[in-house]
Amino acid sequence: MKRYILLAVALVSVAVYLFPLYWMYVTALKSGTEIFQYPPTFWPPHPQWNFRQVFLQHSMASYLWNSLVIAVGVTAITVVIGTGAAYSLARIRNRWTSVALFTVLMLQVLPSSLMVTPLFVAFNQMGLLATPRLAVTLAQAAKVLTLYIVICRSTFLQVPRELEEAALVDGNSRIGAFFRIIVPLARNGILVTSVLIFLQSFGEFVYSRSLISEKSLQTATVGLSEFVGPQINDWNGIMTYSAIYITPILIVFVLLQRRIVSGLTAGALK
Amino acid sequence: MNQIEIDDLNKHYGAYHALRDINLKIPAGSFVALIGPSGCGKSTLLRTIAGLEKFTGGTLRIAGEVMNTRPPRERDVAMVFQSYALYPHMDVERNMTYSLRLKRRPREEILERAKSAANTLGLTALLSRKPRELSGGQRQRVAMGRAIVRNPKVFLFDEPLSNLDAELRVRMRGEIRRLHERLGATSVYVTHDQIEAMTMADYVVVLRAGRIEQQGAPLDLYDRPANRFVAGFIGSPSMNFLPARVAEDGRTAILGEADGQRIDLGREVEPGREILVGMRPEHLQIRPASDATGLQATVELLESTGSMTFMEARLAGAPITVSQAGRMAAARGEPVRLQIDPENLRLFDPATEAAI
Repeated sequence: MKRYILLAVALVSVAVYLFPLYWMYVTALKSGTEIFQYPPTFWPPHPQWNFRQVFLQHSMASYLWNSLVIAVGVTAITVVIGTGAAYSLARIRNRWTSVALFTVLMLQVLPSSLMVTPLFVAFNQMGLLATPRLAVTLAQAAKVLTLYIVICRSTFLQVPRELEEAALVDGNSRIGAFFRIIVPLARNGILVTSVLIFLQSFGEFVYSRSLISEKSLQTATVGLSEFVGPQINDWNGIMTYSAIYITPILIVFVLLQRRIVSGLTAGALK
Repeated sequence: MNQIEIDDLNKHYGAYHALRDINLKIPAGSFVALIGPSGCGKSTLLRTIAGLEKFTGGTLRIAGEVMNTRPPRERDVAMVFQSYALYPHMDVERNMTYSLRLKRRPREEILERAKSAANTLGLTALLSRKPRELSGGQRQRVAMGRAIVRNPKVFLFDEPLSNLDAELRVRMRGEIRRLHERLGATSVYVTHDQIEAMTMADYVVVLRAGRIEQQGAPLDLYDRPANRFVAGFIGSPSMNFLPARVAEDGRTAILGEADGQRIDLGREVEPGREILVGMRPEHLQIRPASDATGLQATVELLESTGSMTFMEARLAGAPITVSQAGRMAAARGEPVRLQIDPENLRLFDPATEAAI
């Protein structure tokens, strides 16, 4: 009995969480009048397939490409720098480790909208605004690095130190032990955090909006914001755009979610 | 030839002096146990030999070569960890042959060595299992296998049996010992279990607070402890210590208060000196209270394991333990006589705790 109640609660929560997603897809298929129809329809009787039209009309290929370039760049920088930082913060324990961790967490507190003005001035003086996608990549990497370090560090903390020592005695150098023993065991944590970072950067708005002036270099989030103007509210267009934008992300997430739930370190000790 | 030579080794963790003036020579092919209470530095010493810990002074030689600052991989030592530390993402075979693959040994050699190690340890059927699919005892064997596959200069064991249940522990004790006899490799074995040390090692090093208290053959430590600590640490149940004062004649001592019972020391000691008399529980013999000689004690508690009887008693105001083979009956508060051969008495200075 209790099982069924819990199942029901779970199903209801899932429904509440997924409803906006469902509504986005449904609205994308509705016509302009049908969107505002009352009572609303839960499945459009005459679905409109205008994905192709929206994609071309709003030059989404260029937007999505720019978002992808920035997200991949941010993820690459973060993984390279963050993994090393997280590992050292997990292994070395002294006063300075706590100071470093605290500082890292403090950086996480500062919102992008606050940071963007000083960053704009600094990047402008360094000439980085000539390559605005690089500027956004750097700014966003600096922002998400803290999250990556904190989550990855806890993954590394779960890898027993003895495994590394066993690898050293077995003939690894420190770097060898790191890449051949520690990283494979922390793989899930690294992967999951990287996906999170990627998705966050793929949806980045504030830095792209402020640092990129060229339309051909602009990202998909900024492109989406162009729909909302003082006169026009093309809800069908917004939802179609959103659907195109989000579906690949959803697919990636569904494909990787099995990795998120598995205990790889079981059996190492005792 | 000495396989491991440690001279005046010191280690500090900040202000904490973890190892103090360690001097130790370990001959090739011997089985040495490092033993002591927790925090005595035995694991630190082992990890120092492995190269996992740096030290602040002294020299460490393995097979004649100075190893002070060499990384672990250049020392040719194998280590079995207390937690086994098996690589969870590799199967048993890959766990055991990891070191060989790192050295890029030929494929056939790796396979053969893995097979022979698996044969020795009875792991042949488990070669393709992952560590998480193994029982505690099997994991322990894989950890051993990982060490013997390498054929190293030195085996280091860090309390390898402490995670096993009692029965398996006794069996593995014999197995490790037999393995050692067959391979003949130098082994250093850390344990806090003095029975493990006594039964397995041919040389025992007792540590306390980072210092070597005594080293020698197991029975030497039992028969001739250098101080009160070693006397109390080696042997089970522990040695009894009773404060006493040497009488005027210099050959007997008065236990407890001034008018207390006399005990024959069996040798000459400076009259009037305060001493601690050490008596092993198994050296005391229980006699009926009606006997004319022997120390008078009162029974407090009897514990029997079937083959052995342990008696808690009070002698000259102090609690003592007596162990005796077989069974006996006695009521609480009943008087008994205890006899001990003066040969078996150990005398210690109460201030320095050194043997007299």
